[in-house]
Amino acid sequence: MGNSKDRIKLNVGGRIFETTSTTLANAGRDSFFGALFDDEWNLSPPKEDLFIDRNPDCFAVLLDLLRTGDLNVPANIPERLLHREASFYGLLHHVRTSKWGPFDGNRLRLSDSVKGIAPGDGTAVRAGPDGGCCVAHGSVVHVFDWMLEEHCPINLDYQRVNDVGWIDSDNIVLSACEKLGRGDGGMGLFSSSTGDLRYKFQVCHENQVKSYTAGALSFNQDYKIFSSCKGRSNEYGIGVWDQITGKQTDFFYESPGWSLGDADKLQWLNGMNCLLVATLFPRKDNCYISLLDFRDKNMVWSWSDIGSPMAIDEKRVRDAIAMEDSNSICVVNEFEDLGFIDLRMYGGSVRWSSRSRLMKSKMPDEPCYPKLALHEGQLFSSMNDSISVFCGPDWVLTSRLRRSYGGSICDFSIGGDRLFALHSEENVFDVWETPPSPII
Amino acid sequence: MIPSISLHRQNKTKKISIPVLQLFLILLFSPKSLRASQELIPNPNPIVSPSPIPSGDMSNQKKRNFQIEAFKHRVVVDPKYADKTWQILERAIHQIYNQDASGLSFEELYRNAYNMVLHKFGEKLYTGFIATMTGHLKEKAKIIESAQGGAFLEELNKKWNEHNKALEMIRDILMYMDRTYIESTKKPHVHPMGLILWKDNVVHSPKIHKRLLNTLLDLVQKERVGEVIDRGLVRNVTKMFMDLGEGVYQEDFEKPFLEASSEFYKVESMEFIEACDCGDYLKKAEKRLTEEIDRVGHYLDGKSEDKITSVVEREMIANHMQRLVHMENSGLVNMLLNDKYEDLGRMYNLFRRVTNGLATVRDVMTSHLREMGKQLVTDPEKSKDPVEFVQRLLDERDKYDKIISTAFGNDKTFQNALNSSFEYFINLNTRSPEFISLFVDDKLRKGLKGIADVDVEVILDKVMMLFRYLQEKDVFEKYYKQHVAKRLLSGKTVSDDAERSLIVKLKTECGYQFTSKLEGMFTDMKTSEDTMRGFYSSHPELSEGPTLIVQVLTTGSWPTQPAVPCNLPAEVSVLCEKFRSYYLGTHTGRRLSWQTNMGTADIKAVFGKGQKHELNVSTFQMCVLMLFNNSDRLSYKEIEQATEIPAPELKRCLQSLACVKGKNVIKKEPMSKDIGEDDLFVVNDKFTSKFYKVKIGTVVAQKETEPEKQETRQRVEEDRKPQIEAAIVRIMKSRKILDHNNIIAEVTKQLQPRFLANPTEIKKRIESLIERDFLERDNTDRKLYRYLA
Repeated sequence: MGNSKDRIKLNVGGRIFETTSTTLANAGRDSFFGALFDDEWNLSPPKEDLFIDRNPDCFAVLLDLLRTGDLNVPANIPERLLHREASFYGLLHHVRTSKWGPFDGNRLRLSDSVKGIAPGDGTAVRAGPDGGCCVAHGSVVHVFDWMLEEHCPINLDYQRVNDVGWIDSDNIVLSACEKLGRGDGGMGLFSSSTGDLRYKFQVCHENQVKSYTAGALSFNQDYKIFSSCKGRSNEYGIGVWDQITGKQTDFFYESPGWSLGDADKLQWLNGMNCLLVATLFPRKDNCYISLLDFRDKNMVWSWSDIGSPMAIDEKRVRDAIAMEDSNSICVVNEFEDLGFIDLRMYGGSVRWSSRSRLMKSKMPDEPCYPKLALHEGQLFSSMNDSISVFCGPDWVLTSRLRRSYGGSICDFSIGGDRLFALHSEENVFDVWETPPSPII
Repeated sequence: MIPSISLHRQNKTKKISIPVLQLFLILLFSPKSLRASQELIPNPNPIVSPSPIPSGDMSNQKKRNFQIEAFKHRVVVDPKYADKTWQILERAIHQIYNQDASGLSFEELYRNAYNMVLHKFGEKLYTGFIATMTGHLKEKAKIIESAQGGAFLEELNKKWNEHNKALEMIRDILMYMDRTYIESTKKPHVHPMGLILWKDNVVHSPKIHKRLLNTLLDLVQKERVGEVIDRGLVRNVTKMFMDLGEGVYQEDFEKPFLEASSEFYKVESMEFIEACDCGDYLKKAEKRLTEEIDRVGHYLDGKSEDKITSVVEREMIANHMQRLVHMENSGLVNMLLNDKYEDLGRMYNLFRRVTNGLATVRDVMTSHLREMGKQLVTDPEKSKDPVEFVQRLLDERDKYDKIISTAFGNDKTFQNALNSSFEYFINLNTRSPEFISLFVDDKLRKGLKGIADVDVEVILDKVMMLFRYLQEKDVFEKYYKQHVAKRLLSGKTVSDDAERSLIVKLKTECGYQFTSKLEGMFTDMKTSEDTMRGFYSSHPELSEGPTLIVQVLTTGSWPTQPAVPCNLPAEVSVLCEKFRSYYLGTHTGRRLSWQTNMGTADIKAVFGKGQKHELNVSTFQMCVLMLFNNSDRLSYKEIEQATEIPAPELKRCLQSLACVKGKNVIKKEPMSKDIGEDDLFVVNDKFTSKFYKVKIGTVVAQKETEPEKQETRQRVEEDRKPQIEAAIVRIMKSRKILDHNNIIAEVTKQLQPRFLANPTEIKKRIESLIERDFLERDNTDRKLYRYLA
């Protein structure tokens, strides 16, 4: 095997490495090696001894990463150092994709726990598209990248943040309460890396810009942003903005007796081309769930528990999520009973599956309302200090993620192939990842 | 806000003085910071102020630690570091531009750029790189400017290639900055920035901008007038524009290029149109169009193709459309008349590209067709011979069919225009239905002999095409029935298959009702054959003597003609009686009446010198001839009395016997063309003919005579009445109430496949229905009709 043409000798920080240009080509064009080699991945002009003034230990790890696609970090190398070196070579993306595998709710492992410095009462945690996350509490949003390094927080000067969402890995949308007498509040676009305000979304009613309180957020593939809005003069409803132009494109005014402006949850349904809006107990005395079609300004489906003959405290809906594949909406009550409403019938009732009655006896001191999430056919629900994973057509409980430290889970979010769970005490959030695929 | 508070605190405690001292000592080592330290000495307070600590409730201890760390950091960085590093990189950029990069160490340069960004000198690196590159490009621009004549483009292309190579290397060196600093500050990346700098400093430099454009346009112009140019070079330069971005290509090249092209073709098209005829002009336009498309393929951006072709289309075609189409002696009409398929095809393909192009062609073709068709059908000369008349229509139709299929790509809209034109002019002549039927009659009588079945079908299909254009299909039906009847009765029909095939076609076109009577006629013929066989087998004694062949025609199925009575010769009338009793014996409840005017007879005759001939004559002629068995000489009056044939028929019959040359079996005295009341007739003993069988025709016009025509017309009108009434009743039965205009519209629509109903006739029918209590007028609104169940 005299394939010496391909062979490369590198001197990294005094240690000699021998490899092939084929291996280094795995780094891609947009990397140190991509710049070093020509278009055919040949070294021109050829050099006997290529010196690189970097840490040889880290280079060994990264070279193995290029050779095998697996990342194995010895205990003596701090992670930060490795990331720094990977950044020099332009291999950060490789490190990120090798750290954890494609998301599967049944194979999750706790990979890290980040202790926040803020006091408790987190509002929301939102996973970013590339493995980072942001945590909102009070008027501050803390932003973490995928290396779980914290960036400059977004500070809203004592306006309460209601919801957060990622537009892309560099842009975050915040919805905040209006501060009486200040005219602030509403929605803003912030840089995730610097925390700077980039754009402020405005609401116009009859060609006049009005201040408003923005609530729950949702996005769709058409680059639209949806938010529940409460204006000063009863202009309640759902506003729609264009992500590219930043202009308000639509407003769905709530009809009398039907609460949209107070909504706790918005969810864009791609297949049905409408928006799920859920206003839940106890924000209002009753729960309202509706599907809005913005093309003809029509409420195409609605459900409310007004006048339902239920035992009041037991079956209040605390969160709802639409599952388009099974044409139903899943709801959850405060005892983590799941219920299902058929989307194909107008005004159907909830079919409860009472599964977790046993839980009732051991309620913790500071309970948090359960939350629901759906990810690629897997349904997640949080309750107290654990998250349950349900699969299959009958939504069988298949896994439970639990950690005893940090108190009840007040919010969780799935994105960038990671699950983030925010605990109510001390603002600890856990990061759950699927390990990389097994070797065989 | 903070200093006042911290001052106050520092006065309170003395611990703070120690770190200040340390700080001072360290600062002495770095001369660059001296200026800052000098400021520090007299007043140590500002040391506190740059630190971003909120003054809240922190202890002094904490504050102190923070300050020291901040200063350590600043001291560690060599203040000249950034400048030094940048100098290395700058020198490298110079070397790269001077094509002297072989001695450079990529690793070192990459590391230096990395370190600059890492130590927050990204901004310096970025602006430095821009400034250095700008300097080089300005130099290059100067060199390009000084290039003379044809060398200009080559020099520009050379420098562009150099710049691209250099830019690639610089981007490699600055890759870390590209990835991190530029990413987070949202500035243009190195490569796009290099292109922007090239654009601003070279392409848009005042001495190059206009010159470059003019050079390129000159080259294109040269190529258009037939010179050979260096396409590769032009291609490289336009490629440069594309690389600089679509906007640059469009603004700096494409737009002026299109304007220049537009001007060029405006002038050229004016020249051409004055000098050439339509066909040549189109050829030139087509050539220009393919040239431009070629040009795009060779050295322009593919997206320009639509734009440049639309310029050519606009200047060369759209602007001269009317003039081209109407060009005298060579325009569209001329092409149509002379079957210039190639020119027509070219015109279609070119005009298709512009808006309203095809509509213009179509309009001219339609008006020409209508004009031509109108002349064809209204010219009394041409409508003398129906067969010729229809044949001409068919020829025209074939001609235009061919034009549309070969030149106009079978365009549906053209086919529709053709159809509507034919429909328009065929119905201009009220006799068209009759003529078409006569044409079929002619074909089925004799024309189809020796023609293959497939061809027969083709001819019949064509006839059906014409039939479809007819508005008065019921008139055609009337005539067709008459003609079929004649054919069947005279046994003249050539092909039974062809007859049936046409009936099937009519049936699919107009429905069962339309052809049921025709089919009845064919059935009658068949049953008559059987009846005759039955008659002769039941009367074996009749095998001797005259043979009688009777065709029993069902009343209603056949076109009724008034039964003209005549006295049959005794030999025949005996036979007739026998048949009548046989027929009525086998069928009960029927009535037979003899249509002597429709029969024929074969008689054997022996003339003066023993010439034997078999004469094929009509029944009336037979009656007349049989009289001469008993006497040699008969006067007109005697014949009339003996036969009781009505005068006009008799005259015709005698005329055909006595006045037709070569077939005059009797002689008339005096000799003249017309039959007079006082004429005398004798057998022409000198009659000779080279044939044994002689067919004595009746002098009958093939076409109808004027009164006959009137009669047919009247019968058609009469037949329409019940049809209109039926339609009205059908509509009212479902609608119950309807106003006048709507009834007219609906009835017209329903009857469309058969004939075009006359509104006044419909009105009359409504009145009649009201009289008969089928309908009533609404009491309040007189325009409304109500259906009475």
